[in-house]
Amino acid sequence: MEYIDPHLHMVSRTTDDYETLARMGCVAISEPAFWAGFDRGSVESFRDYFRQLTDFEPKRAAQYGISHYTWLCINAKEAENVTLSREVIAMIPEFLDAKNVLGIGEIGLNKNTRNEATIFLEHLDLAVKYNQQILIHTPHLEDKYQGTRMILDMLMGDSRINRSRVLVDHVEEHTIEHVLENGFWAGMTLYPVSKCTPQRAVDMIERYGPERLMANSAGDWGPSKPTAIPDLIMEMKKRGHSKELIRRVVYENPKTFFSQSKPFVHG
Amino acid sequence: MISDTIMHERTAAQIIADEFLIARAKILELAATLDRLDRADGDIENSKQLVLLSQGMQILCDSESDKAKRVQLLMSRQYEPEWIEKMAVRRRDVEGS
Repeated sequence: MEYIDPHLHMVSRTTDDYETLARMGCVAISEPAFWAGFDRGSVESFRDYFRQLTDFEPKRAAQYGISHYTWLCINAKEAENVTLSREVIAMIPEFLDAKNVLGIGEIGLNKNTRNEATIFLEHLDLAVKYNQQILIHTPHLEDKYQGTRMILDMLMGDSRINRSRVLVDHVEEHTIEHVLENGFWAGMTLYPVSKCTPQRAVDMIERYGPERLMANSAGDWGPSKPTAIPDLIMEMKKRGHSKELIRRVVYENPKTFFSQSKPFVHG
Repeated sequence: MISDTIMHERTAAQIIADEFLIARAKILELAATLDRLDRADGDIENSKQLVLLSQGMQILCDSESDKAKRVQLLMSRQYEPEWIEKMAVRRRDVEGS
């Protein structure tokens, strides 16, 4: 079955992974900017990273027939450095016209600090100013519930934000309802140990329905599985769900959401 | 509820048949972890993590529903609605706006 992975950090993966993804039915990827595993020292590091995301990575994906899209920001972890964050935010517009940029992301919170919240709000200003879609990272483990509620407060406190153009990622059982009932899109991240299993993700699809809901692998440099979406497809098939429902979650929903950004041309 | 719940394609009997061995293995992993703690040197009676695990296991055994959500909330930092005022988060002026 054809599918789209709406959150996959391919800069951390090998070219072999692109081939495997293509063989398993992946036709498009969206790759949010994220933490590299270490704090970068200057705005020039981010400029090089954004060149990688907007130039090199789409070419690598194209070799396997996969469309590559991306989102730009300074991530929540490095947002603790407010000075660097403001330099990066000021530089991002240089890349917003690149043909694979879907918006600003993955912005969010990490440890739910004042600095992180300040930079989150400044990213919102940037997105509004340039009419960009927004992809949001919610914190992990014990910080997730508090951080997700804080993020929703900031989004809902800004009347300029069009909720149908915002995807809130890494939702789990205790946060999904807050995200969906307030009109945002929600992403479930299939990731060993710290996030959600395919089984629990299918439980959430059964419980909340497929509207504005999608799933991703968030494959990155840590223990993760870039082919987690086929695992979700397999679990849904095993439980007897229809092809239409599965396709809606893994293909139609990401396509509908991304189609609100001009550069998205897939299908 | 956000939208109509999708009806389970499987009956409860099918689910227990399909998932008994998986759940059994998970209980055994938990039991073995607790045995490992028992055998190890050192005192963790006041460990916050041990208390959380114990409270989580109580949720699994009670008669209430929404167990996954309740375990998640148990393991979560609390949300304070007045956090914006407490943190004094202010939007930076953007181009004089």
